[in-house]
Parts: sequence; structure tokens; C-alpha cells
Amino acid sequence: MSESSCDGGRWLDAHYDPVAGLYTFSSCVDLADLSGDGESRLLVGDLGSGSSGMKLKVFRGTALLSESTLLDLPTGLVAFFMDLHEPRIPAVAVASGPCVYVYKNLRPYFKFTLPGLEVNTLEQDVWQQAREGHIDPVTLKEMLEGVREKADVPLSVRSLRFLSLETSDMDEFVQLHKQQPIRRQTVITCIGTLKKSTADEDGVSCLVIGTESSDVYVLDPEAFIILSKMSLPAPPTMMDVTGQFDVEFRVTVACRNGNIYILRRDSDKPKYCVELSSHPVGLVRVGKSVVVGCTDESLQGFTQKGKRLWRTILPAPITTMAAMDLPTRGFQAVLVGLANCDVQLYRDKNLLSTIKTPDVVTSICFGRYGREDGTLIMTTKGGGMMVKILKRTATFDDRDSAPGPPLAQGVRLNVPKKTKLYVDQTLRERENGVAMHRAFQMDLSRMRLAAAKAYVKALESSLAPVSSSLSEPLKMNAVVQGLGPSFKLTLNVQNTAACRPVMNLAVSFLYDESLYRMRNPYMRIPLLVPGLVYPVETFVECTSDKGISDIIKVFVLHEGKSRPLLTAHINMPVSEGLTLH
Amino acid sequence: MADQETSTALPLSTEAKKRRAPKAPELPIVERRNWLIHQHYIRKDYDTCKAIVKEQLQETNGMCEYAIYVQALILRLEGKIQQSLELFQSCAILNPSSADNLKQVARSLFLLGKHKAAIEFYHEAARLNETDWEISHNLGMCCFFIKDFKNAEEHLGTALQINKHEKTFMVLGKVHLLAGDTDKAIEVYKRAVEYFPENTELLSTLGLLFLQLGKYQKAFEHLGNALTFDPNNYKAILAAGSMMQTHGDFDVAMNKYRVAACVVPESPPLWNNIGMCFFGKKKYVAAISCLKRAHYLSPFDWKVLYNLGLVHLTMQQYASAFHFLSAAINLNPRMGELFMLLAVALTNLEDVENATRSYEQAVTLDESNPLVNLNFAIFLYNHGDKIAALNQYQEMESKVNLLRDSSSNFEFDAELIDMAQKMGTALHVAESLVWTKPGKDSKSKPNSAAATKTPGAPLGTNQALGQAMSSAASYNKNIQLPTGVSKDTSPLEPEPDVEKAPSPPSDPPGSPQPAEYDKPRSSKTKTKVEE
Repeated sequence: MSESSCDGGRWLDAHYDPVAGLYTFSSCVDLADLSGDGESRLLVGDLGSGSSGMKLKVFRGTALLSESTLLDLPTGLVAFFMDLHEPRIPAVAVASGPCVYVYKNLRPYFKFTLPGLEVNTLEQDVWQQAREGHIDPVTLKEMLEGVREKADVPLSVRSLRFLSLETSDMDEFVQLHKQQPIRRQTVITCIGTLKKSTADEDGVSCLVIGTESSDVYVLDPEAFIILSKMSLPAPPTMMDVTGQFDVEFRVTVACRNGNIYILRRDSDKPKYCVELSSHPVGLVRVGKSVVVGCTDESLQGFTQKGKRLWRTILPAPITTMAAMDLPTRGFQAVLVGLANCDVQLYRDKNLLSTIKTPDVVTSICFGRYGREDGTLIMTTKGGGMMVKILKRTATFDDRDSAPGPPLAQGVRLNVPKKTKLYVDQTLRERENGVAMHRAFQMDLSRMRLAAAKAYVKALESSLAPVSSSLSEPLKMNAVVQGLGPSFKLTLNVQNTAACRPVMNLAVSFLYDESLYRMRNPYMRIPLLVPGLVYPVETFVECTSDKGISDIIKVFVLHEGKSRPLLTAHINMPVSEGLTLH
Repeated sequence: MADQETSTALPLSTEAKKRRAPKAPELPIVERRNWLIHQHYIRKDYDTCKAIVKEQLQETNGMCEYAIYVQALILRLEGKIQQSLELFQSCAILNPSSADNLKQVARSLFLLGKHKAAIEFYHEAARLNETDWEISHNLGMCCFFIKDFKNAEEHLGTALQINKHEKTFMVLGKVHLLAGDTDKAIEVYKRAVEYFPENTELLSTLGLLFLQLGKYQKAFEHLGNALTFDPNNYKAILAAGSMMQTHGDFDVAMNKYRVAACVVPESPPLWNNIGMCFFGKKKYVAAISCLKRAHYLSPFDWKVLYNLGLVHLTMQQYASAFHFLSAAINLNPRMGELFMLLAVALTNLEDVENATRSYEQAVTLDESNPLVNLNFAIFLYNHGDKIAALNQYQEMESKVNLLRDSSSNFEFDAELIDMAQKMGTALHVAESLVWTKPGKDSKSKPNSAAATKTPGAPLGTNQALGQAMSSAASYNKNIQLPTGVSKDTSPLEPEPDVEKAPSPPSDPPGSPQPAEYDKPRSSKTKTKVEE
């Protein structure tokens, strides 16, 4: 708890713009020295409104340096060295839809499009027939549906769209599209970089691309040809790449099925697999271990071979994660953005510090910005941008998280104090225990007697709402509905006999006529078939406006007998409205 | 090829697209925003996620499988399971070859309680993907819920072969327990703890199982481990605390309970145990207020009522004790000790007739506790019925012999032995052989009691606990029983015994886990303890 207080001491608040209007993820933020002058710029792939206004933005210091429009949503953004030219200026690759757009000197330079996917041959045949006019659109639809149900290769966008069309639009659609060759394209879901042959800071890097079709491609940085293709069991969502392409490399990929796969140079299939119990939200490599944040509010550490080393529970759901690497100090840790507006810094499972932010953080990037090595850049859910600089004097002491007894152990138990009244009562009981006990037993017996007497009386005079007489076993309950002054009174009468019906019954009411008016105070009950519930309804109007209520007595009578079979007392609710006159 | 593309820089390509546009518009890729939907979904930003899903479904005329899939997942999280089921089914129509869609359909069915239908879907999914841990695990869960333990075991076993997950171990253990096979359950949990040595839930469950079997040392080891990894683990605190309490370490137990009281402030067993800790420390008023809180939180728990009755007897509040005890008897009419306590209360309330009846009931119900007979004997003797008293005395002796035969190191409470001997003299029973051995015991007893207390003293830290509990393995429930108020009463007064008779510590072992908090089990624990 002491860390959070001294946390302001570790970071300098360099900049906070709550209305920067950035909508982005950690995968779309990077820092790079784009002009070769030793000052790093901030690159942000902004998703705009989520459907329009996507931009590549470049910040320098607190100012927006340039922005260029993107055609589709950016899924990832990386700065990388694609050649050996001097001065060493990195290119920027923006993954968006099925393409990677490469910018050099902030100008569009190259567009790489993913190769099309295999097209279903049956589908192709069917469209071929349609083009030649052998089949009409309705037949085409039927055939395509047949193909969809059986095929291993999914249908193309065109066929899917066609299948969802109304019959009237089909013909036009076929006319419009039938000349085009069928193509199936996929989109990029994540992007990373991999050093080609040297581990140097400014060595040439390959692009590593994960696609919706569950493939991972490694691209040559100069010719943009596919150097290597690997396949995964599910679409990747995040990846971390380490090593050199020509020597040995490792791609750690988090996939949409909640698993993490580790790919290596020698195989196009995953080498190791980690089955998580919940979806990964963040994947960060620290040294040789991989730290994964999951949706079950946990942070887990794995070895390079996928063995779990540790697991720790976080106070809130994770929103984003990033590595914090300070090579000058040999310091490596993981920054975790949480939904409770905290950003926590972890080294392994130990919490080093917590930064409070004014809004939920959606992306984090740590690195060299401008001329400052330890800069933390965060964007928030509301679109804000925050820049903090790590003080050069800041230290993070690595306390082991074995904090001894929990704090709660020192909290006093909530036990009430001994009161004088209690002591007095105890003493009284001690002295007169026998008398108290006897008095109680005596009163208890009296009460039982009184209860028994009242019960017998009720049974004898049929005051109860249940009649158990052999000839007319009946049950009744009453429901009052309404706020007043009119109430609806429903009596549910049931014949509880096994097979004998009951006839010639009537209901009458007894009530204070100055308070209530009843529409029909006498009603006849139809023949009661055993077991069924008969609702008998009437309306009661409260005539008083004094806010008082009374009891209405209900009698169920047998015709020709003056003694009621059963009686119910209905406590009327207070009328909440006034009668209109 | 690559060079050609290089020449067509970005602006050109867009222009080209525009020119083609009127002829055949480029259809947007159905999956183009799947990644975005997923990103928002895993960040639990469900509102944004739903908005994107809606947009995506409009754009693709409802053909985007993943969008429907996520929408269904969100609906399920919102509790609209039936709707989610329908959406998953439409996903399965869009892509019939995906095992995942079938799994989700099954999962929704499972949540709706249609386990048999869920099993069918899981089997179908298993046909598409044979080595999926999740399918086997969930199949096991379904079988578990329809009480088909044999199949459940089989499926869970398969799941464990494919991949070892904590959840699977947990369920498999439960299956064994419900099938009544405690040994197998322990085996499963042991294996689980090997794979997941830091999982506190597994550790505390295993600890509780050992506790039930009376293997106190092992139980304490595992509970201690659980507490090391999670000092706030309620289950482990309660179980470990009750063991310390049994051992007489009331202060240490209280320390642990304080933590639990912060975590789960409204737990009846916790307040019951705290109350009995205060009782052990002779803070009777605090004990009563804690027990009353436990009673308020769980009014139908006879153990709390039992303890309340006991404390009130100690406080000489016999009228109150009577009420608590009779309430306890109403809830649990099969326990001899309860009737004995009631009889003691009635004796003090000068209701001899009912006290006799209560004692008689106690003697018929009780099978192994010599105290019941001793108290009855004393009562009869005090009321002048020496022959009946002698009968009860002999009954007691046979129970004592039985207990000693069944376990060689059974220790009797010093006060019980003392009282029995005095009773023997009063009844002029020939110096019976029965008590020669315990007589020796009783002499050594004060020393041994002191000895057990000394190692108990340093218990304060988790590390020390394990060491301390090694002596608890041979613990005896009577050790820490408080010696009551009436020290100077004449030898033939029943009260002093009465206080030891009821065994407050026998409650805690059952109480840590409310789920296991049922009467037959706790009484089983008790008999095991005595063996």
C-alpha cells in the first residue's frame, strides 16, 4: 500500500490530453526515430470512430506531427528496418484488412496483399455454369447451399452474400458479379517483427503476420515475398516474436480459442501448446518467460516451452498489457492496465508499483520518446493520451510477496461489550432461575390451552377458511387487487373431496356498510367439481376517504342452512385513491 | 510479381478500385472485423462489442459467424441463455464443421439444465475433435449432474489424460466423494496437488478430507500450505482454526479467525468457533454474544444451540440453557449428550421428574460416552436411588472398558476419572479393577496436560503450526475442555462433569465447510476421533 503513495515520486507527468480523440490498442502504438535525428516519434494507428476516420498519426513531443488516412481499420502497427540504407530510418508497417501498408519517410511506399485463399472447386463450377447461363439463380442458390453444407473449404464472400439475398435481388446480383473470378480473402489479425539475420538493434527485420485464416506468414523485408508459412489451429489474436529468422526464432501466439501456441523455425506446426482456462488479453515476453494476462483477472508466467511458472490474481479485469524494458538499467517488467483505472507494474508475480490514471487505459507503450528513454505513453478509453516520464532517481525495490500475516489479523473482532443490563439480567436469572422456569412453563401450558380452545371453537363454528366436513370439504382463499377506492375481490373456492361434487352453495359477505359498498353481496356458487379451483369475483368500493380500512367477512353457505360452512376474514388494504363523485 | 506490385503504390490502387466499382462492387470480407470484436470481447467491453457486432451483421446480412458467436456469448453472460442457445445453433448451421459451435450449443443446454441433450451435443462435437480436453471435462460434468458417476469418472479421466486442469481434478474428486469413495477422492486430490502445488482450493479440500478421516497431521500440513499461499482462505482458516482450538491454542486460532471474520463476516460456523474460543478462554459473556450471533445467522443449527446451552449451563443460567437445549433437541433428537445436558439443566431447575426422563432418554440414545451414565448415576445417587445408580455406574464401567479396548492410548478426562472414583467409593463398589489403570493415568494426567500445553505455546506462525500439530495427531477431544465454574462443589454434584461432557471441539471439524455441515458426518468424525 505504501507503493501507491510514493508512486507519484517515480513518474513525472509530462503530458495529459484528455480529448486527444485516440481509439487504439497497444498493438497499434509504436515508438520510432523516423527522421534519424535521434528523437523518437510516437506512431498511433487510430481506429477513428470504428467505421470511419481511421488514421495513422505521428506525434512529436506533445504535438501531432502528421496524419494520413487509412482505408480500413488498422489491426497492428510496427516500425521496422527494411534495408541497410544510411541514415538508419525505420519504415512503418500498418496492417489493415487483407493488406500491409508500408510507409517510408511517412509516405506510402508499398502495399502487400495477402495471397488469396483456396476456393472451393464445386463453388467455382457452379458459378461457371451460372455465367454460361446453364442455371437460373434459384438453382444456383440451391446448389450453393448444398455445397456449403458438405464442403471442407468455406464459400467465398460472394456466395455467402448471394445466399442471404431475397429472390428478387438474385438475378441482378448474378449479372453484376458473374464475370468476376471468385476470390477468397482473409484479413490480418496481428503483426510483429522478426530480425532477419542479426540481433542488432537496427538490424533488418522481417514482418510476421497472423491472419484470420489461422496462418502465420513471415515476409521478406526487401522483396516482400513469403519466406515461411506456418499454420495454427485457430485465428491468432496477439503474438510475440523473438530470435532471428536465419538462425532460430520463436513465435508465441495467443489464439482465439483461448490457447497459446509456440512456433519455432523448424516446423510449420505449433511446437508447444498452453491451454489456458480463460481467454488471454495480453501477451508480453520478459527475458525468457512469457507473461500472459487472462480474462479471469489473473496474470500467469510461462517458460518458453509453455510450462506455467506462477499465477497471481489481479484486483480487476485486464484491459491491456505492455513490456517495460529499460536496458540501460537492466530493468524488465510488465505493465498491466486494469479496468479499475490502475496501471500496475509487475516483475514476475511481484507487484512493484501502481499508477492511478483518471480513466481506463486501453493502450500502453513504454520506450524512448523524444530524447527520453523511460517514457510511458498511455491512451484511455475516453480517447485521452497520457505521457509520463520515469524519473532517473526512481527505483523499484523487489519485495518478495510473502507479506507475513495479513492485515486483517490485527483487526479487533466485532464483539459487543458487556453491558450492565446484561449482567443484571444474568444475575437475576441465576437467583430466580427456578421461578422463571416454572412461570414460563405455566404460561406456556396456558397459552397452549388457550390456543387449543380457540381452535376447537373455530372448528365448531366454521370460522376457518377450510371446511373438512364429510359432505362438503371445501377450501377457500381470497385475493384483493387494486389500489382503491375500487378493489377487485377474488375468492378461490375449491372442492377438496375425492370425487363428490358439491352443489347449492352461496357466498355472502358481512361488512361495515358505512365504509364499503359491494356490487353483489350475495352470490351463488356453481356446482363444484372436485379438485378444480373456482374463482368467484366481485367488486368492493371503499366509500370512506379517511384512509381507514376494515375487515370483510366472507361466508360460504349451504342453501337452506343458516350455519356457514366456512368463514374467511379479509383484511382490506387502505384505499389509496379517493372516490370521484 | 512483387516488383509490379511495388509500382502500384497506395493512391493508384485506390483509384483502380474506384474505377472498377460501378461494375462489380468489391464485397467486404465477412471476417474483416472479427479481430476487433474479439479484442473488445476479451476486454469485457460488451457495449462496444455489441455495437460492432450489430454493424457487422448488418453489413454481411447476418452471415458473419464469429459476430453471431460473440453475440451469443455475451447474451449468455447476461443470463439470456435460451437466446444464446438459438444463436449458437445458427452458428452451427453457418459452419457445421466447427466443433466449437457445437460445444457452445451444448454448454448453453448444460446451463439450461438439459444435461442429456448437452451430452448428445458434446458427443457430436467429440466426433469432430477427438482430443479436446474441454469436451471430455464437460461431458464429465453433465454425467455428474445427472448422477451417472461411473461415466462421469470415465470422461473426467479422459480429460485428465488429454490435459491436466485444476477444474477437472476438482470435479473428479467431487464425483468420487458423492459416489462415497473417499479414498479414491483423496488419491485424486493428492495427484492434483502434485500438479498444482499452489492451488489453495485443492489444498484445503484435501486437508478437510484428511481431517474427516482423522489424519490430523496430514490435514494440518495441507491446510497450512493453503494458508501460506492464500492467508485469507476461509475454508482453510476455519479448518485449521478448529484444529488449533481442539488443541487448546485459542489465541492462535483467534488470530486466524480474525482474518476470516474480515473475509466472511456473516459465517455461522466461524462465529460458533470464535464463541467456543472465548469459552475456552473463560470469557463467557463474549462467548455468548458470539454464539448468539452464530445462532442469529443460522437459527436451525443445533450445534450452535448445543454450545449456547453449554455456555449458559456454565454461567448457571439454567432457565436459558433449558431453552437452547430443548431447541437443539427439537432439531436433532438423536443425540444422547443433548438429553444429558437438558437433564442437568432440569436438575438445577428442580424438575426432578423431567430430569429423570431426560436422563433415561440420554442413556438409551447414547452408545459410547461414559459421561452420560456417570451423570445419571450421580443424579440417582443424589436422589437416593442407590441401586439404579449402581446400575448406571456399571454401565459406565463397561463403556470405559470398551473405549480402552478399542484404542490403547485413549485418555480419559482427569475430572471424569476423579468423579467416577468418588462415586465408586460413595456407592461402596469394591475397588474395581477398571480404574486401576486409569487411576495411574489420572495421576500422570496433570503432567501430561501441562506437557501438551508447552509445545502449544509457541504456535504463532504458520511454520510453527505444522510442528505443533504433530502433537495434535494424538490429540484427545477432552484435553482443552474447560473446567467449569463450580470448583468447590461437593463431589457428588453433577455440574463439573457436565461441563466437560459436551465436546465443543467436535463441532468445528464439521463446521469449516458449510457444505459438509451435516449431522451424520460430524458424528462420524467424533467416533473416529475416539478410536
